[in-house]
Amino acid sequence: MNPKGLARENLQDTLHGEWPGVFVTAAWHSLAWLAAANLVGVLLATLLLFPGLNNWLGEWTYGRWMPVHINLQLYGWCSLPLAALLMKVYQVDLEPVARWSRAAFWAWSAALTVGSLSWLTGHSSGKLFLDWTGYARVFFPTAIALLWLLLAWSLRCHWTDKENSPRLVRMIKTTGLALLFLVPLVLYWSADPRVYPPVNPATGGPTGASQLESTLAIVAILLMLPFAISHRKPASSRWRSIAGTAFAVEVLLCIALGRGNNSHHRPAQFLSLGSVLLWVPLIPAYYRSFEWPANSRRWQLGWLCWWVLLVPTGWCLFLPGLLDHFKYTDGLVGHALMAMAGFVTSLLIFLLVVLLGEDGKIFAARWAFIMWHGSTLGYIAIMFLSGWIEGYNPMFAMVPGAGRNVIYSARLVLGALMTVASLSWLLRASRLVRAQPASVRPEASMDLPAARDLASAKAL
Amino acid sequence: MKIERSWEGWRGVSLVAITYVYFLIFAQFGFLKHLASIGIEGNSLKTVMGAMAAGGILASLFASRISAGGSAHRRLQTALSGCALAAGFALLRLDLVESVAVSFLIGSALGVLTVTLVTHLRSWIGGTRPLLKVGLGTGIGYLVCNCPQLFDASPRTQALVSAAFCVLGIGIANRMLAEIPATDPPSRQAAAPSFLLVLACFTALVWLDSAAFFIIQNTPALKKGTWEGTIHLWVNGGLHFTAALGSAWLLRRRGLEVTLAVAFGFLAGACLLLSDPARAALASGFYPLGVSLYSVALVAYPSFLAPAATVAQRGRKAGLIYAVAGWVGSALGIGMGQNLGHIPLAFVLGAAALFLSPWLWRFFKHRKRESLVTAALLAIAFGVQRVASLYTGMHRQPATRTLVEFGHQTYISEGCINCHSQYVRPNSPDVIMWGPAESVDAVLHEQPPLIGNRRQGPDLAEVGDRRSLLWLKAHFINPAAVSHSSFMPSYAYLFRDNRGDALVAYMESLRSAGGREHRIQVAEAWSPSPEAVEMAHHIDGALLFHEYCATCHQADGATRVAWQKGFRRLPPNLAAGPLLYVPISADPAWRLKRISEIIKFGLPGTDMPGHEYLPGVQVAAIAEWVAGLAGHR
Repeated sequence: MNPKGLARENLQDTLHGEWPGVFVTAAWHSLAWLAAANLVGVLLATLLLFPGLNNWLGEWTYGRWMPVHINLQLYGWCSLPLAALLMKVYQVDLEPVARWSRAAFWAWSAALTVGSLSWLTGHSSGKLFLDWTGYARVFFPTAIALLWLLLAWSLRCHWTDKENSPRLVRMIKTTGLALLFLVPLVLYWSADPRVYPPVNPATGGPTGASQLESTLAIVAILLMLPFAISHRKPASSRWRSIAGTAFAVEVLLCIALGRGNNSHHRPAQFLSLGSVLLWVPLIPAYYRSFEWPANSRRWQLGWLCWWVLLVPTGWCLFLPGLLDHFKYTDGLVGHALMAMAGFVTSLLIFLLVVLLGEDGKIFAARWAFIMWHGSTLGYIAIMFLSGWIEGYNPMFAMVPGAGRNVIYSARLVLGALMTVASLSWLLRASRLVRAQPASVRPEASMDLPAARDLASAKAL
Repeated sequence: MKIERSWEGWRGVSLVAITYVYFLIFAQFGFLKHLASIGIEGNSLKTVMGAMAAGGILASLFASRISAGGSAHRRLQTALSGCALAAGFALLRLDLVESVAVSFLIGSALGVLTVTLVTHLRSWIGGTRPLLKVGLGTGIGYLVCNCPQLFDASPRTQALVSAAFCVLGIGIANRMLAEIPATDPPSRQAAAPSFLLVLACFTALVWLDSAAFFIIQNTPALKKGTWEGTIHLWVNGGLHFTAALGSAWLLRRRGLEVTLAVAFGFLAGACLLLSDPARAALASGFYPLGVSLYSVALVAYPSFLAPAATVAQRGRKAGLIYAVAGWVGSALGIGMGQNLGHIPLAFVLGAAALFLSPWLWRFFKHRKRESLVTAALLAIAFGVQRVASLYTGMHRQPATRTLVEFGHQTYISEGCINCHSQYVRPNSPDVIMWGPAESVDAVLHEQPPLIGNRRQGPDLAEVGDRRSLLWLKAHFINPAAVSHSSFMPSYAYLFRDNRGDALVAYMESLRSAGGREHRIQVAEAWSPSPEAVEMAHHIDGALLFHEYCATCHQADGATRVAWQKGFRRLPPNLAAGPLLYVPISADPAWRLKRISEIIKFGLPGTDMPGHEYLPGVQVAAIAEWVAGLAGHR
């Protein structure tokens, strides 16, 4: 055994750490679901272009694959990195809880597999993005509950650690844990067909207040994230104060708007939603007040660019006239893609890079970065073009023609390119899981020099 | 020297090929055709085939213990002589008892032949690339059997050719090489699976193969789609040959587990596809690939891959594999085909679990904690879900649902919401196309509301007033037949049970009070804009009519004939008239406007659908062309 390997083995023994650790496991599961969801997306794009292929799929036709594609992106790719973030916050990456963390990810993935089979076999609640029904509706929240148990157990184990000694930290973590307890219950409840959010009577879609709520939820995550994975720059507290105040004001505004079935034609709705534009410059400034590792800069720039593009376009698309034009067209799907494939994906990879440290190199390939972002941008442009045409002529989406088929072909090619990029990340993550890490370092929160010292000592 | 070495195993290659040709074209095929030609069928046929199986099982189990006949090549020659003799007897007109005797002879000779061949194959095939040579022999065997001249030949010719091959084999088997260790053991031999697991896997494969073979043979539609016709046979032969060589490569590079799993994947795919004759073409591709992949392994495993300390032990293992997997598996497969007529999905899934078990076991060993926690959560969730369903009554029995409720559930199950909305936006063009608009409270009354967020097809909020039951059903079965180039998938499978009728009933229920009156008012108030009328041209109209209307109105349209019984009133011959809704005596301008209205919005209460999404210029063009037909002049 080479000295590095020996040193690593000794380190593992000392710290009771197991390879792969919490964040590598999280990255692998997240990327596996991203790749799976993208492959399903390619299948869907192929079915749009060659609908005859549906006949080969038996009962697993286009409509049954759609929830699989959407929910794997939402509950697989978008959720698992955030679960890893929670594990970081609650120190699940430290023993004795760390060794159970992989079980939480496997259980989560098992729940997604059960869910996918359930949707493919025709079991759905009928609620978009909340298709959980029957056994899957219970199993997935149970898997989330397991994660909660690990968080609670870890908080109890590390209650007296130095990191948790300030009273405020303990209070925030306890409150957070109490709120997180509600997540599986809320998920179960919200999948109930009898529960439905307020409806914009002019479109049948969400109201301005609902949009503001969901945007503020994203903003809240963005505001909390640096505290969990970064350090503050002492000299830049001004932006943090401004952001905190702005958020409080926005929450009050959201509460004042209420939850009625209000039209986007009402000025109160679109003007209050316009308040989110404040975050376009504020979020980049806020993030500049924290320290970030060098290897995360590319992805940070990526998600900040998408943010700057996403928020104003989101607001514009809610304006009277524009929303009426784009509702039910590819235009709004394009905006959802901007949010999920552009902003959220870049943000989550940025998060994983920071959590993985040196192992974040699995996302370092420049070609994959360019391929993902270029394809996403091209896809969005096509979807907006398609939506713009559809707004004038609904027949464009429903009756085949050369124009529509060119757009579907381009979507297929761009979707395939995005899939290639995601598969390359998954491949690198798989190699990382199988092989040993380049650095002789456990994933536990021990800092690198200390780990090196211990490794050298043990090796000798 | 190198060339000499690479040729050294030609005897082994030939003997493998001859054995497969005899088994496939005579024992499995020609002899059965011969029995049918002499009137042996039903229980008599079962008795005859039972004798063959009994002979095969007994001979396989005891072949390794038989020392009569001296050395291995003498035993092989004796077995080949027995095979040739049995084929010769089959040329005669046999009664039942004689058929049983010949059948027993075929089985027992084949049993001795196969076990002796694989036990001592190293001595005929040599030590250089033995797996490739086994693949080559198997591939050649299958290719020869799929030659149309032999495949379609009479039972007599097939028996003669088989006997001739056996005689050739007697000569080839005469010389044996000194047994030397193989030079290309598979890379994964160290992780060889247990013998019992391999035996179970081979049994499952032969079972699936035999069941699929029987079903294809006895289902004319499947037989036509899989192995009838010269091109089909050559393609099958080519696939078999390629897969056999691929199997040798897989065995060497990826090991037995992967090879058997890949073979199972193809065979299972073929078995599932065979449930629908429309997919027989795809099944015909999967089936030979799966069969050849495992056939090579069936020879290579007992010959080269199975751990065996002595030749006798190798022989016993070979005997067990051919008796259990070969003969018993085959009998079980044929029994399944006879009694069920299809291969149940549960059986395929069970077999899949068997093939995946080595990987699952390794996963469990390395991920014990993860596996146990996940299993515990699965069990907990199961218990919670049972309790929850008891208390909330979530799962009412389908029998207590109305047809419309069941249709609503089917709409959800099929994911229709991903392409269709159910929301007419007030004060928008939706009202004219799909209207009228309902209040939000009315929409939220449905649980869950199926508003949707994307329209790749029309809004369905009021579809019950816009489309007839006949149209809906025809559209679900073959969307493109009634809706020009529709890219909606066919939902014909829903009509194999009552889901289709339920979905149609649900669609018909999607209507609001006063919806029809609203539609009539909108239609009366609507007319193509003057610009659209000016731009419209009757030549475009003819083309559009062909695309959108000829599905029903074509004078000799096959579609219309197929639905003839379902129409409330047969679509009129527009060229001949008379037209019930456009009186010939009316003002020409009014008639043109009326025709446009009907094209755009259909005729409520009839089977005539609207074409709401067509722009005014296209509606005007069709109207102009229709108005110019003889029936209107």
